[in-house]
Formats: sequence, structure tokens, C-alpha cells
Amino acid sequence: MDVDPRHFNQVAINDNDINSIVLSYLVHNCYKETVESFVASTGTKQPADCIEDMEKRKRIFQCAVEGNAQKAIELTEELAPELLEKNKDLHFDLLSLHFVELVCAKKCTEALEFAQNKLGPFGKVDKYVTKLEDFMALLAYNEPEKSPMFHLLSLDYRQQVADSLNQAILGHSNLPDYSALERLIQQTTVVRQYMSEDNVKNGNPPFSLKDFIRS
Amino acid sequence: MGGVGDEEPATKRMKLSAGELRGLSNGSSCAEPVAGSSRDLMARPLPSEGDEQVVGSKGVIKRVEFVRLIAKALYSLGYKKSGAHLEEESGIPLHSSFVNLFMQQILDGNWDGSVDTLQKIGLSDETIVKSASFMILEQKYFELLDEEKDMDALKTLRTEIVPLCINGSRVRELSSCIVSPSFGGTPGKNIVRAKSRSKLLEDLQKLLPPTLMILDRRLEHLVEQALVLQRDACIFHNTLNEEMSLYTDHWCGKEQIPSQTLQILQAHNDEVWFLQFSHDGKYLASSSSDQSAIIWEVDVNGGVSLKHRLSGHQKPVSSVSWSPDDHQLLTCGVEEAVRRWDVSSGECLHVYEKPGVGLVSCGWFPDGKCLFSGVSDKSICMWELDGKELECWKGQRSLRISDLEITSDGKQLISNCRENAILLLDREAKVETFIEEDQTITSFSLSRDNRFLLVNLLNQEIHLWNIEGENKLVAKYKGHKRARFVIRSCFGGLEEAFVASGSEDSQVYIWHRGSGELIEALPGHSGAVNCVSWNPANPHMFASASDDRTIRIWGLSGQKVKHRGAHSNGIHLNCNGGT
Repeated sequence: MDVDPRHFNQVAINDNDINSIVLSYLVHNCYKETVESFVASTGTKQPADCIEDMEKRKRIFQCAVEGNAQKAIELTEELAPELLEKNKDLHFDLLSLHFVELVCAKKCTEALEFAQNKLGPFGKVDKYVTKLEDFMALLAYNEPEKSPMFHLLSLDYRQQVADSLNQAILGHSNLPDYSALERLIQQTTVVRQYMSEDNVKNGNPPFSLKDFIRS
Repeated sequence: MGGVGDEEPATKRMKLSAGELRGLSNGSSCAEPVAGSSRDLMARPLPSEGDEQVVGSKGVIKRVEFVRLIAKALYSLGYKKSGAHLEEESGIPLHSSFVNLFMQQILDGNWDGSVDTLQKIGLSDETIVKSASFMILEQKYFELLDEEKDMDALKTLRTEIVPLCINGSRVRELSSCIVSPSFGGTPGKNIVRAKSRSKLLEDLQKLLPPTLMILDRRLEHLVEQALVLQRDACIFHNTLNEEMSLYTDHWCGKEQIPSQTLQILQAHNDEVWFLQFSHDGKYLASSSSDQSAIIWEVDVNGGVSLKHRLSGHQKPVSSVSWSPDDHQLLTCGVEEAVRRWDVSSGECLHVYEKPGVGLVSCGWFPDGKCLFSGVSDKSICMWELDGKELECWKGQRSLRISDLEITSDGKQLISNCRENAILLLDREAKVETFIEEDQTITSFSLSRDNRFLLVNLLNQEIHLWNIEGENKLVAKYKGHKRARFVIRSCFGGLEEAFVASGSEDSQVYIWHRGSGELIEALPGHSGAVNCVSWNPANPHMFASASDDRTIRIWGLSGQKVKHRGAHSNGIHLNCNGGT
């Protein structure tokens, strides 16, 4: 190895690299205005359609998080046609978001019809059967938030679906589906934990990202 | 347990079931008229016999229960008027009025009504009420789905089933059913999901306490139980399709057991050591110390005649083994070779030998493609039919005098491995288990169902072992004599209910397997009886082999004795009164 691990603070880092990392994070999460002002401040290059795409992705993401799945699907079809056809899991997840919306709005008849027509066909494939059962179980309850499957109504779940959608769209446009920043942090955490294993055996606390950021 | 109580206080009160009493005290009227007029409701006992709370000589049958079962049986037989009349005359209603209402509502599909009635029926256990309601509403749900009233079904699910707050996983399944008509099944087919209403009633009957709603066919079930017990207790029972009557206890006499010599077969020139019927009972094979084996044919009337004499061995032939399809026979010369013969032609097809050692026992593999034999060097060998050796288990697997059997699924190999132990070798699991005795084991025999082993011991006892799972001794049979020779025993009779054995006192001994009782000791032979084989296809026939060089065929004492012709080498037997 070139550098002794204990002398990590002597590793040379390129400013451009740092900027790329920050930019990748901002682009991934569609922070359009911040991207624009960052680019202006640092002079980093960004691809041409970047801003426009970000706009569109942001809208899709927001629709999904709000539970407005139909709009999200529509916009996705515009931005990345055939994406949903190729990605059945995602398609199912989005449709199920719409279903959940109908259930929450107490539109039982519509929810039932939607389930029978759109979700039912997925039931022919084994891997969707349990998921489908999970969602159908919501219909049985007058107060779905009190059913065993209440977590399907939560913001967390919608966020999860929105994230998957975001990643899929990025992948579709040949962009990385994880931001470089996220990856680096993940890797660093693993490496540091690995390195501090010996210390931990001697009674020292293991590596914690939180603590590191605070310090 | 809620429902009709059976603890009637022994007072002079009118004998009403508790359900009726409750009904009366609630102010609702009795559905059925009760015996006597209303003034009889007070104090006076019911007239004549029939005032007892119990019936039957042992005092264990409760009158109320007995009458209700009879009423139920009358109704099931279709005698509605008689049933109703019995209820009236005895004053014992079959079911309370609420139960009757409930049953009718179920059959009519009046779900809401039935759930309602359920509350009034007299159940003290809330969980049962809920489970029963769940069952009923489930039926309602499925019937609605079958009528394609999806929204109504959904409403039932949401507003009636779910609020019961039980059986969440079933709720989950139910809500999936609504998505497609055949969820989980083949798509596109229109399946009826609701079960029949009478099935629902049956299921509810099982759920509710039995005192409340008498189970269907309960009386018939009790009678069948008694008949089965009678039959199992009958130690001479040896005839299939015996019709059992309810009028008297079932009892077979000894005449069911073969006890008369029908034929004597004289064809061997020396002691006959072994014999065995083929699986289909159409042939008998015997082997002798005269170095030959004989295949006999059994004709449709039970007459036995010589078919082939198999010569070739240079040593006494200690045992034979029929192929699974009965087309071939193996014979084993003592510490010599095993020969394979074709049954129809009598031709020797192959000789199996091992240089330097002799073979001591033989057996077929259940698929008929391989055979096993014990070897005098204590190993067990497996051959293909053409003589190619496939496997060899070394170590102390067999003895110089040894039996060898394989279970019919091919999994277990059974062989004498030590003087007082039998080895059970599981070929697949490669596990060995043992049966160990305190005495030297001389021979053993496997039951047809592979579950039991009959083991002959030096001390004149025969032990029955259960070899399913853990090896366990289950019975012992005594009475026969064995001092110097190898004497064999076998299973036999209808469902192998009997154990038969040879004996050194020249008699054939027969025990009832289940009870261990000695049934017969049959004289006839003039030398030690070495082996007995019971015809697997005819429970009324078995054969015995003796040192007196003959084979005797035994049958029922009423049977006609066979007249022998010149060709069959048997002797005409004069039997007094034997027609």
C-alpha cells in the first residue's frame, strides 16, 4: 500500500472530485435550485438535460410520496416509456399505492373493482401472491389503520416506493441509481468498522457514523 | 361446557331436559308436547318402568342420552313420525326448540337469524359462539361471492366477520378470494366456493358441544364399535367377509382353523427342511436334505401335485425364496451355492457362487432384479441376476446358519448376525439396529406388512417383535418343543392373525397372535416338524414339512380329503367321517 492507514489525512484529494460527489447527491435527490447555484459557484460541469430531467423526476417522486400513484405512473410513462412494463415489481408497487389511496378514501366499490381488474392479474404469478394478499387484507377492515397491514398505509412505505421509482428512472437514463456520496459513506462505515474490530475487543466503542459527524 | 345438562336430580319431577327447563323458565313455550297433561308437571312420578335414570344391566347408560340417540337414529332412517312420537311419548326432546330452529335456519340460509339464535341456544363458552358465528358468516360470504354479489360479500366481511376479532389469518384468506373467482387455483374457471349447507351443519355440529346437538349417526357409530371389538376378540376368526349379526355376539368356532390333514406329499428321499408357498398361493416349494427342491402346484380345489423336481445341488437344500412375481425360485445349498430356477420350465437359470466360501441363505430384492445371500464368511452379498456382484457388507452380518429377509420396500435387510442377535440393516439410512435376546436365536420370519418379526429361540419360546420404529418385544408363544434342530414358525391366516410353528414332538402348533393363546397342537407327522407355511391366498390351508420325509397339507375339518392319482406322489388318506 502507498500510504500507511494511520496517515490517512495526508491523502491528496482533488477539489473536482469533491464537487462531483456533492453534485451527484444533489442531482439524485432532485434539488434543482441548489444544483443551479452550486454549479454557478463552483464551475462544475453538468450534463445538458440534467435540470429538466431533475424537474420531471422531482414531480414524479412527489406524486408517489403523496400517494398520487396514477399521476406518478402517467409522468413516468412520459419520461421513461416502457420502464414500468419491464419492471413489474415497481408497476405493482405503484398500482398498490393507488389502491391504498382508494381504501383510505373509503371508496370501497372503486377499490374492489380496481383490485379485481388491475391487481388481480398479478396474482397469477407466484411471487406477487403474498403481496397481493397483504393489500387485499386491507379491504376487510372498516378502519384499515387498525388492520394488521397498517404499515402499508404509512409514509414510510410510500417513501420506499418513491425511492425505488427514482432509482429505476435514473437507471433507465443510464445514470447511477445510487449517489456517489451515499456509496462512499456506506463503504467508509464498513471499512472503519472492520478496522476498529481489534479496538472493540479491547473495550473501545465501535465506529459510529453519527458520532463521527458530530465530532 | 354449555348445553343440555345430563345431571338430572333424582327427584320425582317430570324428566325434562335442561334445555326445555331453561326454555320454560324463560317464558318461551316448549316446541314439543310433553307426556301427560299439564297437571302432571307437579310432583307425580311418571307411570310404570321407564322412570329409571339409567338403562341396561350395568347402569352406565343414561336414559336421556339413550332415548335421544334412538330418536336421532329414527330421524336419520327417515322415520320422522316415529321419531316425533318417541320424543312425545318419552318426554325427552331430541333437541331444544332453539336448536331445531337453528338447524332449520342453517339449511334455509337464514344466516342472520341463525347467528341470532346462536346467542339463545345456551352456550356458555363465548369462543364457541364466536367460532360458530364465524363459520356461518363465512358461508354467507361465499354464497354471496358465488352469486357474484361482490360488494355485498365485502360488506359482510367488513361489518360482520371482522368485528368478531377472531381468526385473522382466515380473514386474510377470505379477502383474497374476492379478487378473483379462483384465487390461488387455476385461473379462469368458475369455481363454486361455498360448501353445501348440510356440510356446514355437520361442521357446526362438531364445533358445538355434543349434548346440544347430537352428532349424525352416533348410534350407528357405537354399534359399529361394538362389532369391531367383538371381531377383534374372536380368536378363531379366520374367514373373510364373515357377516356379523347384531342378534348375537360374534363368535367363531375352532372349525375356522385348518386342523385336518388333507393330503400327504411323499416325494423327498430325506428330511424335508423348508417349505414356502408362493405369494399368489398357486405354488409350494419344498427343500430337503436329499439335495433337491420340489415345486408343487396348487390347483383350484386345493389339491397339490408335483410339478418339478429341482436337482443340482451337491448339498442339502436349506431354504428357498420365491421371486416377487412368483416366476422364479431361489434355492440355497448349505454352505454351497444359490441356484435360480424358472418355475414354469423347472430349468436352472443361474448358479451363484463365491470362490473359497459357501452361501448360507438367499432372498430376492423387491424389484426382482437383484438377490441377496448370506455367506459363510459372515458377510452378506448382493448380486444382479446375471451374476454380477453389486455390493458386499462385511463384518459380522450373518452366521453359518442364518435366515435372510428383506422388507418389501427394499429398505431393511434382516439377518442373524450373532447367536442371540438379529441385525436390521437400513440400506438407505445406513443405520443398523439389533434385536437382542437372552437365548440363542434359531430362525426368524417377517410378517407381510413388514412390521413384525417372529423369532424362534433355543428355549422353546417364540417371540414376536414389533420392528416399526423402535424394536419392541410384544408377545411370546410357548408350548411347542425344540431341543436340537432348527424349527421354524410363520405368520398365517386372515390378516396374519395366527402364528404356526413346527415342533420336535411331530406336531404342528397354532397360536392366536393377538392373545398368545395356544389354539391347536396337531398330530400326524411321525418325525420332527421343521417348517410350516400358511397359504397367503387361502387362510384355510397350510403346509408342514417334517423329518419323516413327508409334507402334509392341512385344511378345515369339514373339508373333503383329496384322493390321489398316480402322478402326484401323494397318499390317499382314509379319514373317518371326513366328507
